[in-house]
Amino acid sequence: MFKHESIETNSGLLIVLTLVAISIGGLVEIVPLHYINGTVEKVQDPQTGLDMVRPYTPLELRGRDIYIREGCYTCHSQMIRPFRDEDLRYGHYSLAAESKYDHPFQWGSKRTGPDLARVGKKYSNEWHVQHLIAPRSVVPESIMPNYPWLAETELAYDDIQDRMIALKKVGVPYSLTQEEYQANVKQFGEEVAKKLNINAAEKTLVADAAAGNFDGQANRVTEMEALVAYLQVLGTMVDFTKFDEDYFIQFR
Amino acid sequence: MAHSAVAPSEQYNYEIVKKFAIAAIVWALAGMTAGVYIASELAWPLLNFDIAQITFGRLRPVHTSGVIFGFGGNALFATSYYVIQRTCQVRLAGGNFWPNFTFWGWNLSLVVAGIGYMFGVTQGREYAEPEWYVDIAIAIVWVTYFFIFTLTLMRRNQPHIYVANWFYMSFILATALLHIFNNLTMPVSFFGTKSYSLFSGVQDAMTQWWYGHNAVGFFLTAAFLGMMYYFVPKQAGRPVYSYRLSIVHFWALSFMYMWVGTHHLHWTAIPDWTSSLAAAFSILLLMPSWGGMINGIMTLSGAWDKLRTDPIMLFLITSLSFYGMSTFEGPMMSLKSVNALSHYTDWTVGHVHSGALGWVAMVSIGSFYHMIPRLWNTTIYSIKLIYVHFFLATIGTILYITAMWVSGIGQGLMLRAFDEFGNLSYSFIETVAFMHGPLAARAIGGMFFVTGMIVMAYNVYMTIARAKQEDSVPVAAAAKA
Amino acid sequence: MLTNAWLWLIDLGNSKVLALLIFFFTFLGILFYVYGSRRRSERLESYRFLPLQDDDAPGVPHTEQQPKGEK
Repeated sequence: MFKHESIETNSGLLIVLTLVAISIGGLVEIVPLHYINGTVEKVQDPQTGLDMVRPYTPLELRGRDIYIREGCYTCHSQMIRPFRDEDLRYGHYSLAAESKYDHPFQWGSKRTGPDLARVGKKYSNEWHVQHLIAPRSVVPESIMPNYPWLAETELAYDDIQDRMIALKKVGVPYSLTQEEYQANVKQFGEEVAKKLNINAAEKTLVADAAAGNFDGQANRVTEMEALVAYLQVLGTMVDFTKFDEDYFIQFR
Repeated sequence: MAHSAVAPSEQYNYEIVKKFAIAAIVWALAGMTAGVYIASELAWPLLNFDIAQITFGRLRPVHTSGVIFGFGGNALFATSYYVIQRTCQVRLAGGNFWPNFTFWGWNLSLVVAGIGYMFGVTQGREYAEPEWYVDIAIAIVWVTYFFIFTLTLMRRNQPHIYVANWFYMSFILATALLHIFNNLTMPVSFFGTKSYSLFSGVQDAMTQWWYGHNAVGFFLTAAFLGMMYYFVPKQAGRPVYSYRLSIVHFWALSFMYMWVGTHHLHWTAIPDWTSSLAAAFSILLLMPSWGGMINGIMTLSGAWDKLRTDPIMLFLITSLSFYGMSTFEGPMMSLKSVNALSHYTDWTVGHVHSGALGWVAMVSIGSFYHMIPRLWNTTIYSIKLIYVHFFLATIGTILYITAMWVSGIGQGLMLRAFDEFGNLSYSFIETVAFMHGPLAARAIGGMFFVTGMIVMAYNVYMTIARAKQEDSVPVAAAAKA
Repeated sequence: MLTNAWLWLIDLGNSKVLALLIFFFTFLGILFYVYGSRRRSERLESYRFLPLQDDDAPGVPHTEQQPKGEK
């Protein structure tokens, strides 16, 4: 006959049974997410068949690192919920696919400031630079800190290849070999595939910075440059005009 | 003094408990002061002073890690090492070295992590901000802690393992599980600080909030229930209300908490079934939570007058009341319809603090006021100051959570308001302007609470100083003779 | 055999009902065990007193005594 005393007098049994009790919930909820098809929907361009959501370019990746470093996620979410007010305020609700290359995810849990999931292309580069240096100069009621050092600090990108290799190891399709490059051409198109090439990462980063001139300082690559490049791509990868209005509802 | 029994201070390893207890108070002062500072930054952004290291985004994890792992963690080490020795009536395992290893390992890890945050070293995942090398150090410390705890249990001089130790055990096991699986990352280089998490997007979010909510469930609840199960009966001088209830609610709580993390991800890109499941379990969780609260409060049944004469009892019972309140509020906020309004707002922040200040901090404070005089073999310096502390802490907590209700519910309602033409009534920045008043009130609430902790630090300092003085008197007398 | 059982278990269509039944009956079992018999209840309740047995050894002041710090 079982007695609860058997557990109370046997530390081994107590440990084992407690482990069983605390393991079930996590197993049931987390493990299936890695196996169920459709947890992350496929989002392909209806015309070209290319993946719309792509990994970040080297410059955007460094910008994302700075976003994480400054703790932007403590006040800004990147997850639009399917409500009318959020649709009007921020745009189409966020798809799982849109953060499939986000290591780590930055959905956030608090909106002290507005959601940033679709902030890309909504404001000009100049606005972002001015807003990051002195938020209250463009939004008087803002309570965001000033980030003047971003425009003054040169961007460190000597380890950009190491960063991309680390991300490649956890599943982001940056390419090192010719085959991987060709696979990317097929998946994302040639223009994107070139930017995902680890071997040319530094060149790509500098070229993107020069072409975009995100920080308004033509001869320098600053941290501001990378951060604004990242902000400007947020939520812009999926072109919703190419789909019917309720196309994505089937995946919820 | 006719008995020749060994004094507890010699029978047990009290030195390690003392160290952790003092560290907990130091971390409380540091972590809560950081909290008041970042709260003030939100009310008065000027306070960021354009200094990168003290901007809100970098200082916020200093606050959360400081209070959860610094104050909470050290308080749990201290009380678990105390309770397990007292209830097993045996000295702590691991000699002097290994318990000290957990002390220095834990605290140095937190210092390294905290300084790192200020210089931008973070994993960028809430409550799991320490980078990979700190995570490894913490894992090693935690496994050591597990072995010390288990070996002590196995050596016990009591046939039974008291219920407080079950809760401590489930906290140690769950924290190990959560910490290891949630911090799987790929370092960029062996000599660098940066790493990228193994999972991405949906899976990363799910793992992170499985961790995030169970850090609340096991670190901030189960373990503190362990504390409650020892210190409430001891302080009341009466056994716990119902041992049978504790069996039922221990297993129910351990089992159910692990399901509810996804309620942090309602309406996101997570599959809907996980979030519905989490909501259902969140509602069910109310029952074991209240089982614990009832068991604690009813321990005082028939001796309610103690609340009039004993400020330590006031702390303990008030903490259980806040626990009951926030474990009611939590399931309510996990309903999808309520969550649609409350999520992303200050309501969540207020809810966390009614648990963190009202429950976690107050039950620790009460337990410390009971334990510290016994550790130093003396009495508390001033009972009056405990009363002062109690009122400062209670006023601070109530001011804090009321301000956050106003700010959170107010913002939630403004954001979803439409005018008669179906357009949004308010822009986002108008809600920010609205929140200025509540945010300022919240900062003041926090100041009350910190002031209380300063009073406690003074009271504890004087208690220890006097104990040392008393100790040296007989020695001096003997030397003269 | 075991893999089949596992596959059946993680198939959400099957596992929901099964899991609900298992958990619920386990819970009922615990409740019945804990509260079912008077003798067992008395035995279980007798462990409540454990923390009160470790009475502070001589020389350690008890809470009942007038604290020195009271002014």
